[in-house]
Amino acid sequence: MDERRTGYLLTLLLLGQLVLVAVEGARSTRSRTYAEVIGMRLLGPLARAVTAATGAASELGHKVRLQGRLLEENRRLRRQVEEQRLRLLRLGDVEQELSRLGDAVRYSAPLVGEIRAVDVVYADHASWLRSLMLYTGARPAAVNQPVLSAAGLVGRVVVVAGSYAKVQLVTDRAAAVGGMILRTRRQGVVRGSGQEGGGLSLDYIPLSADVRPGDIVLTAGIDGVYPRGIPVGTVVSVEAGGQLFHKIGVAPAVDLGALDQVYLLEHAQPPSELQKVAPDARR
Amino acid sequence: MPAAKRIAGLAFAVLVHFLGTRLLPAFPQRVDVFLVVVTLSALDGATLPAMLFGLLAGQVQDTLAGGNFGLFGFADTAVAYGMARLAQRLVIQRATGVFAVVSFASLLQQVIVAALAFLLLPNPSLPGPLSLLAQDAVKAAVCGLLGMMIYGAARRFRLAAEARRRGRMGRLRLG
Repeated sequence: MDERRTGYLLTLLLLGQLVLVAVEGARSTRSRTYAEVIGMRLLGPLARAVTAATGAASELGHKVRLQGRLLEENRRLRRQVEEQRLRLLRLGDVEQELSRLGDAVRYSAPLVGEIRAVDVVYADHASWLRSLMLYTGARPAAVNQPVLSAAGLVGRVVVVAGSYAKVQLVTDRAAAVGGMILRTRRQGVVRGSGQEGGGLSLDYIPLSADVRPGDIVLTAGIDGVYPRGIPVGTVVSVEAGGQLFHKIGVAPAVDLGALDQVYLLEHAQPPSELQKVAPDARR
Repeated sequence: MPAAKRIAGLAFAVLVHFLGTRLLPAFPQRVDVFLVVVTLSALDGATLPAMLFGLLAGQVQDTLAGGNFGLFGFADTAVAYGMARLAQRLVIQRATGVFAVVSFASLLQQVIVAALAFLLLPNPSLPGPLSLLAQDAVKAAVCGLLGMMIYGAARRFRLAAEARRRGRMGRLRLG
């Protein structure tokens, strides 16, 4: 092919890519392309194999190093399990008590639903186009499914390709979560800064509202994606941002650089009465 | 460069990227293995294969990155074509030349990606200009070094294979 035709093809290819970026940029929600799904199906198993191989190698080294301390750690963990069991029993009582009180005042607490542990096979949290890829096994994830870790909110699923799912991290520049300050119940919108440090900001909190560094920020359950009460982060800075709102910096609750397993939150089924009138309804 | 070699190069890049990211979380921020492989493959001056390979490598990168699909596809296609055209006019004999070309390609790619994000994405939130410049410079230098190392290793391997082949031919003639 001569250089002129190659030039035409180049223009065509570049225009195609440009349209792809522009169309996706104009949409409010993250969409998927067939190329991305095919790419994830091909690259996912490789990422999983590399993760498994490096994990096995590091585990081997770890085992050798820790052999001497295993017995002591085992004893300590058994003790902890006993303590947790006792705590769980007490919490069970509290839960029943709450349920009884809720029934008395006809209040229905939001159902969080079932959680499922899945493996992280690829994580890039350093570059400004950060991403996380999960292996979800035989049961695929669903788009918009919340992703959590033991410490709090990680993000939501944006692309699903078979057993693999791509997650938009809560620190992503395009991420937005309905947030709430635990101490005052004041609601706002938590956004990812997309910056190198991976911080968050809490927007639309009026200057009259009481916010202090150290305040815990939870999901507010107002965005239709995340249920209420999942830890998002801690307020680290409060400045007068403009005439109306505070400029609030939030440190994420989760160390995104240390994730090797996360939890997918299955949405609880809505009440059957609601399902009858609105089959697509979701809690 | 035949297609099989390019595909093998891409597989190598994917593997190194996965391993690097797993072992060193800041790896994707410091080095772009895909770009290095794309640039090295474009050094033979064949624009069409270089461009198509750039597109493929860019789409692989888009699959792994969290941004909009097509950002790296666009950038890598353009860079691969540009580097192939450059290679038609340049004679690169030293590894330092490869360092310069790969570093330049890396800078070009990062400028294209940042410009696209700035122009087309609603909330690009790019790092500050100084921080971006510093990051880009470091990444370009590391990419250049990696490109130089791969080029040097490939040349040594090629020369050794050539010597072995000549040695075998010589023995055959003697026999």
